[in-house]
Parts: sequence; structure tokens; C-alpha cells
Amino acid sequence: MKVAQLFRDYFAKNGIGLGSFLLVAVLFWVVILIVLPQLSMLDFSFRHHLPPPEMGGPKDTYTIEHYKYLVLGAPGADTTYNVVDLGVFGRTLLAALFVTILDLVLCYPLAYYLGQSRGGGAIRILVLLLIIPYWINEILRAFAFRIIFGESGLINEMMLAMGLISDPVDFIRANVALYAGLGYAYILLMIFPIYNVIESLDRNQIEAARDMGAPWWRIHWRVVIPYAKPGISSGCTMVFMLSAGALAAPQILGGPSSLWFTQIIYQWFNTGGNWPRGAAFAIVLLVTCIIIVLSMMRLFKVKIGDIGK
Amino acid sequence: MKTNNILLKFILGAYLVVFFGYLLGPLVVMSITAFNSPSFPKLTPWECLTFEWFDVLAHDERILNGIENSFVIGIGTVILSVIMGLAGALLLTQIWPKLRATYYTIVIAPILIPGVVLGISTLVFWDRMSIMLGMSSGGILHNGIFLTILGQSTFIASYCMLVFIARLQRFDTGLTEAALDLGATQVQAFRKILLPFMKPAIGSAAVLAFLASFENYNTTTFTFGKYPTLTIELAQKVRYGINPSISALAFIIIALTILGALAHEIYRRRQQLALANGAPVAAVSGGFQLPKFFRGNPAAIILVLLALGGASTIWFAQSYSPNACKMDVREQKQLLQQERIKAIREKRQLEQQQKQHQGPDVFSGSKSGSPATQSPGKGAFGNVFAPGNLDKSGPAAKPDEPAKSPGKGAFGDVFSPKNLDQAAPKED
Amino acid sequence: MTKGVDVDLENVWIRFGDFVAVREANVNIKGGEFFSFLGPSGCGKTTILRSVSGFLEPSEGTVRIGGRDMTGIGPNKRPTALIFQNLALFPLMKIWENITFSMEVKGASKAERRKRADELLEMIALPDQGEKLPSELSGGQKQRVAIARALCAEPDVLLLDEPLSALDLKLRQHMRTELREIQQRVGITFIYITHDQGEALTMSDNVAVMRAGVVDQIGSGHTVYNDPATPFVASFVGENNVFRGKVKSIDGDMALISTNRTGELLARIATTAQGTLKVGDPAMLFVRPEALNIAPDITPAPNRFAAMVKHEEFEGQIYNVFLEGSEGKEIKMSLVNIGTERQSAEGMNLTLEYVPEQAVVLPAGELASE
Repeated sequence: MKVAQLFRDYFAKNGIGLGSFLLVAVLFWVVILIVLPQLSMLDFSFRHHLPPPEMGGPKDTYTIEHYKYLVLGAPGADTTYNVVDLGVFGRTLLAALFVTILDLVLCYPLAYYLGQSRGGGAIRILVLLLIIPYWINEILRAFAFRIIFGESGLINEMMLAMGLISDPVDFIRANVALYAGLGYAYILLMIFPIYNVIESLDRNQIEAARDMGAPWWRIHWRVVIPYAKPGISSGCTMVFMLSAGALAAPQILGGPSSLWFTQIIYQWFNTGGNWPRGAAFAIVLLVTCIIIVLSMMRLFKVKIGDIGK
Repeated sequence: MKTNNILLKFILGAYLVVFFGYLLGPLVVMSITAFNSPSFPKLTPWECLTFEWFDVLAHDERILNGIENSFVIGIGTVILSVIMGLAGALLLTQIWPKLRATYYTIVIAPILIPGVVLGISTLVFWDRMSIMLGMSSGGILHNGIFLTILGQSTFIASYCMLVFIARLQRFDTGLTEAALDLGATQVQAFRKILLPFMKPAIGSAAVLAFLASFENYNTTTFTFGKYPTLTIELAQKVRYGINPSISALAFIIIALTILGALAHEIYRRRQQLALANGAPVAAVSGGFQLPKFFRGNPAAIILVLLALGGASTIWFAQSYSPNACKMDVREQKQLLQQERIKAIREKRQLEQQQKQHQGPDVFSGSKSGSPATQSPGKGAFGNVFAPGNLDKSGPAAKPDEPAKSPGKGAFGDVFSPKNLDQAAPKED
Repeated sequence: MTKGVDVDLENVWIRFGDFVAVREANVNIKGGEFFSFLGPSGCGKTTILRSVSGFLEPSEGTVRIGGRDMTGIGPNKRPTALIFQNLALFPLMKIWENITFSMEVKGASKAERRKRADELLEMIALPDQGEKLPSELSGGQKQRVAIARALCAEPDVLLLDEPLSALDLKLRQHMRTELREIQQRVGITFIYITHDQGEALTMSDNVAVMRAGVVDQIGSGHTVYNDPATPFVASFVGENNVFRGKVKSIDGDMALISTNRTGELLARIATTAQGTLKVGDPAMLFVRPEALNIAPDITPAPNRFAAMVKHEEFEGQIYNVFLEGSEGKEIKMSLVNIGTERQSAEGMNLTLEYVPEQAVVLPAGELASE
């Protein structure tokens, strides 16, 4: 009854035509594009890997073999656990965490500086400079880092020329290029949420704290950071999720020995040809990321509504 | 206290330089490599100023095809995402308060879901749909363009929605009520009041959606099917073989981005100016008033300078031919190589002599055959050659045929340095 | 011009969930009348207005405009036009487009609309301003544009939701006069919402005073001010000194109250309480500051009491004298400045008196909180 009233009010407010159009558009988005594909992928990840004609046949039953595979490895393998895939998984998460921290450390001072300086042409140009790299294709950004960090890249050539080293350093193998590239790719997603929050911080609060004799680090610790917390966690969440889910940068900048978890998923879908297993791995990635983000938000007492501001 | 300030300023300046160096350096380096002649994109050593990579780019069928696909997909994504994002934002303002948080979480989630997962779920879902519906594998549900648009719109619509929410927060719902009160129907009120108000946001959401679609890789890589987008093609190229035509493309994209950003900045500046003066925008933009328009508008000055620079570069590119330079470099390389090889030979001979003095049992490779295989290491040549070229060019430049090398210049017009190397042995 | 039509609220209740915004409102507004709803913020007056304009359906009861039941009729179909508190001028439309929006949605031609816009701009004394945007006008000009826009729809009833609250004092006083003039010229029903008693009293034919969703009293400004129906009205409309106590005796329409702190005082029983107020009932006695005077002698009387001057404020035409009665009772007295020497000074002990007919006794009840 209450729901009926709700719909009546809604259509009274928007009119039948417009109201149904909005509703259909949102339902299409939420149900067809967001919810059903995720559920379908979840369902699919519990299926056997079958050739298309056998799908829906008697052999098409539910199984947890793909999840088992991730944890225990192929049946008959000589290790108890799937050391390779689990190792990649753990390393991906750790690396994503590292990239997140790197970006936070790098971006906080600038976000603070931009947020607290009063507008002005110079600041606007700085903001513009910040945005421009973001509009450049992700692949090209990774490519740029390959030019710089490659064996005969800019840095090696320069160091060789200056006589700092005698042999080129393999930055790619050492993952330096990968971290630099990933950190680079998501800098903006860290800086803007923090900047937006700090911009709304009353300068007088900082003045007052300084007036009371607080040293600069205490001002940040007690005044600025608590205030900027929603922005910081929003930025960290996005950078973490995107780094963990990155595919292009690891493919281009990753060393031969270090795989990213997304690359394994990619392989199951393309060269491996085992879609259900790829789906299962994707589910694991998704769920783990959600758990990490939710617990981070719980830890820092931030609401989901703060994300994306 | 004062020294403290200076120190602080210095640290801040250094930090800004490092930060923006990190941010812009890679783009600058990449852009410059587009004009260097070696076939592997690199900045050092600088060999010849060349525009041939733009030519190579313009004749790359796969890139051109990718651009076309990207545009089709981009436009589809813009339409779908803007509509869904707008509807999503409008519904958010009206939804039952108890449902609002859940609803917001669902529609914002696609931003946080890894793009890979979105691509996979889209692929899996529509694949299974088509099986359920009994459609053939060539049907629309397997069409790369269809799947990519859906997959990308899933999360791009969330971005659009955020843009719309920000704008809607400043919308006075009283305006819609006023329109209704004055006799407008709901659709009239929407079209005449809300849509005009949302127009700037719709514009920026569309641009955002298009760019996001254009550069998307993670989702598209699972859904593109037979229609690789530009980004997919680029990724293939970057992963499996690089030449500076990609740098050339990057340079074009960067230049377009900067021009776009500056034009936008100027537009905003002008609007602000208009608002500050209390005059309507039309009054400021109308008429010829360049001087005023420049005043206090660094973006405009930069834009004009860039345009001039661009024009002169194009003029220069058409009149300039890098062939002479390339020949020089080629010659120099060979001379250098000869000298090195000579040096090595002498050194070896010296060693041999020494060793012969010491004892007869030492292996001797006195024939000069292929110096590259026995060269002391890539390091010696590394300054000049990319590792890949080294092996090929090594044997080609035989030390006993120096006289002929200038003659190769005749081919210079058509050959890139790489081709030149391969052509060289044929002349023997 | 058209004669305005009646607006009737019959037993109107409006609820939001468990919250009752309007409780059993029965109001009859006559055609062509300038009618005000006066009350503090949150009293439900805007809610009533929205139910008349059609943005809200009453949970119970009916709204009639010109005798026609408005249930189920949307705001765009009602013969009302609303002037919003923030005016709600369409920021992206020019002034003339704003004014003639109601014609645009009905499909009137551009020439027709321009002509009508020019007429209305003439009427609100803003000729040649039609091409501007709302942001380029001053507050008072915007105000007039909003009125013109509402009038362009040719409504039978014009609803105004505190339209003057954003203006500064001078302009507000000027616009009061102007609004009243426009109303008399076009002759339609005006329903005006305000929390400012000055506005309500100066402009209205009749005023409804509201408290927490309840209409306490309906009457002319004169009635509401001099013969309040409830302690709330007495304390909300204008200022009043309140003396709490019990009814000691009743003589016709006069009652003697034994107050808690100020002894026994005599006053007229308010019209609404006559016949119902009984001896021994808790009661409140209201004396307006301007009804108080300094007594010529100190002889005790039931319309006199003693108080000490705490401090004074000089406002030009009047002095406000703040006094302390027995047991710390606060009292305010306003004396007209007739140019003679001041009769009071801080610390002075005075005997105050009033005309008993000018003071009002009401059954004890809720006061307006300051």
C-alpha cells in the first residue's frame, strides 16, 4: 500500500511519460548492466568448463573446482597449495597497497597546497597541468614509461653517459617501471578527492592552530588530516581498487617474472580458454577488493556516500 | 623564522618541480621521440629530426580502423551513459529515503569494480543470454561493438551520474514547481527548465564519457570481439613491437588535449570576466576585442603561441627533408663502427701478440669475420644502436667495404634506417 | 479586472508520516481579499499554501477554489499562481521570457508574448528591461518580475510565500505598499504567508494566526491585535507583558486576576473566553507596553503596580523602558516621545497603570517562544 502510494506520488511528480522513461533507463542500467551480469558471472564461476554443445546438458552441474584450483592447484600437482596463483594474488594486493601509499604520500602535499592557496591564474594552470595527463590514453602513458625505463631508455642512457653505471639497469624486471607507471596512472584519482575536501577547510582553523603554537606536523595531524579523511579514504579506495584491477600497465610494464592477478584472469579467458575458471578468479578478485575496501572504510569510519565526491 | 620560510619555499618549489616532472616528463619524452629517426622510440642519442613516423601512422590500416571503431563505440557509449547517468541522478533525488543508500551503493559500485571484472561479466552474461535465447554466435549479442558499449556504459554512466549529481545539488527544485504552477506540464518543465540547467553538465559528462570510452582498455579487452578499438590496437603494438609511430600518435593526442584544455580554460575565463563585469556573456564575446581578451588571460596567450608554433611546424615539416641528415648519421655510424672494429682488431692483435709471447696454446680468432659476436659487449655499441638493430647491422657493415656506403643514400628517400640496414648486404 | 474567487479549506489535515503538519484547518477566504497566514517558522503555513497551489494533497479534508473541489488537480491545472520565497525566476531565461512563461507553455506566439510582456513590464515600472537576465536585476526588481510572471498566468488566486523576506528593511516596507496597490488594482484574491506581523497587519484584510499546525485565530488585523483568541496569539502578534495567575472574580466582561507576583489586577475578558472563563481558573493577563503609563500618584488600585526602572532604550518616537516588578518580574513599557523631559531614570521606583479595558484576560495556555 505504501509502495503504491510511493509510485503514485512519483508519477504525479514526473508525469507518466517522463516518469516511466527515467524508471526504464535506471532499471536497464541497474538490473541488466550491473546486477545480472555480476550474478551471471558468479553462477558461471561454479560451472564446469564445457564445450558449448554440452552447456545446459546433464554435465552442466555446479562445482567449486575452479575455486579449489586457485587454492590447491591442479590435482596431482607436487605442492599442496597453488603457490603460483596465490603468490601472484598476494603480490598483486601488496603491490596495489604500495602504489596506493606511494600516491598518497606524493599527492597529499600538493592537494594541501592547491586546496589552501586562494585560486589565482597560476593555480588554475597547475590544475590544468594535472588534468592533461589524465586524458592521455592509459596505454600511451604506460608506453611513455617504457621509453623512459627501458633497457636503452632515457634513464639508462643518461646514467651510462654520466658514467654512473657501466651496464644498463633492468628497471622493467625490477618492477620499478610498473610501480612508477601505476602510480602515475592514478595520481589524479588521489589528488582530487583530497583537494576537494581541503579546499572547503576554513583557513582560520589552521591559523588558529598555528596561533596556539602547534608545529606544522601537529596542525596536519590534528586539524587537516582528520578533516580531509573522507577525501583521503575516497582517493585511497579508488587508487587501490584500480591498481589491483589494472591490466594494461602490468602487461606493458611488468617484468617477465612478475604477473599481475588480472593477467592470469586474462590468460584464462584468452589463451587458456577456460572461461568459468577466469570468472571464478575474477569473483575472488572482486570479493577480496570489496572486503578490503569495506574494512578500510570501517576502520577509518567513512561512508560509501563519500566516495566519488 | 625568515630562513625557515625560505627553506620552506625552496622545499615546496623542489617538490612541485619533482611532482610535475613526474607528471609531465613522460609525456614530453614520448612526444619528442616521435621526431627522432631511430626505429625504436628513444630520446638519446638524437639522430635526425624526422616526420616520417606521422606518415607511417597515417598509413597504418589497423590504427585507422581502430580509430573508427573507437568513435562508433564512443558515440554509443556517450548516448547510453548520459541518458542512464541523468536518469540515475534524477531518481536519486526522488527515491524513497530508506532505499537511497542502497541505491547509491549499487550505482556507484561500477566505478570501484575492476574493469576486468566488468568486461568478463558483460561477456559471460550476454554469451549465456544468447545461448538461452538460442541465438547463433554471429548474432548481435556477440557483436563486439554492442558488448563494448554495454560494458563501458556500465561504469561510465556512474561517472556521468556523479557529474549530474553535482550539478543537481545546485538546482532549485522551486524552479520546476514554479513552471508547473505557471501551467507547464511535467515534460514541458523538464524540457524548458531542468534540461537547460543541466546542459553544461550534460556537455561535460558527454566529453568525459567519450574520453573514458576512448581510452578504456580493461573492459574492452574482453568484449571487443572483431572490432578492436584504438586502445586495443595500441596495446597490441606496444606489447609486441614498438616503433615511434605510436609516439607520433601520442604527440597528436597530447597536442589535441592541450588545445582542448586551453580552449576550455579561455572560455571559462571569459565567462568569469563577464560575470565579474555584470554584463551578459554575449556582450563580452561579441565584437572584436582581442586586446582585452588577452589581458590577464595567460591561457589565451599560450593557445595562440601554440597555434603559431603548430602552423610553423607543419610548414617546416613540408619543406624539410631529413634524408641528408640520415645519410650523415648513417655514415657516421659506419665510420664509428669501423673505428671501433679497427680498435678491437688492433687490441686483439696486440693481445694475440702478447699471448703468443706468453704461450702458443691460446685460441686465436684473428679473422675479422663477424665482430659483433665477439664484441666486448653491447655496451660499446649501446650508445648508438638499439639492441635489436645491433645484430643486424653488425654484419652488414663489413669493414672492408667502406667506400660503397655513401651510395646507399640513393635509397634514403624510401627507407627507414631499419630498412637501410637490411638493404645493405644486398649491395655486396 | 476579474473579481477574485473564494478559497475554502474544509477540515484540512496534512500529515507527513507520523508528523501532523496541519491539524483540522477550516478557513474561508473571500474573493478579492488580501488574506495572510501569520505564524512562526515551522507552524505549517507554507504547507497550507502548497496544498492550495496543488503541490500537496491534504491527507484529509478538501480545498475548494471558487467552490470547485481541487482534489486530484495538479498545480499546473489550478487557477492559482505562486510567488516563491526565493522567487524562483528562471535564471537562464530573459526577463520577458520569464514573465510570459505561462503563455509559452500554452503555445502562444512569440509576438503575442512580447506584447503581453511589454504591458506587464510597463505595469511593474520596468520598461525596457525585458532583454536582461534575472541575475542582472536588483532584489526589488526581481520581486516585481516575479509578481508580473505570476499575474501573466491570469490566476484567480495569487499565492505569496514570504516573498519579501530576502529584501532589506527599506525595500520591504516599500514593497508592502506596492503589493497592496497591485492587489487592489487587479482585484484577485491574494493569499500571503509571513512570519512578520508587521507585513500581515499592514497589508491584510484578514489574518489567520497559526501555531504548530493549528489555526488559532482568524480575523482582521485589528481584532487579532486587540482581541486575541489565545495566549499564543496575544504573545506572537505584537509585544505583551504577561501576568500569570488565577481568576479571583468576574464582573460582566471584566475579571480580577490574582497574579503570582504582581498582586491583583483587573482586565477585560477576551471575546472568545467570555462565558467560559470561571472563577478559580488559571488565567493570563496581557498588557501591551504601549498601554502602560506612569501613574500620577502612588495610590494602590487594581490597574496599578510598582516597578523599578532597569534601563531605557530611546527609539526616536518612543522610549522603551525596561522595569523590574516585585520578585524580579520583567516588564516593558513604551512611552511616546512628546518632546517633554524624561519622566524616568534608571533606578527610579515607579507606579505604573493601564486602562483595564485595554488589557486582556485569557485562559492560561501556550505562549509564543521568543
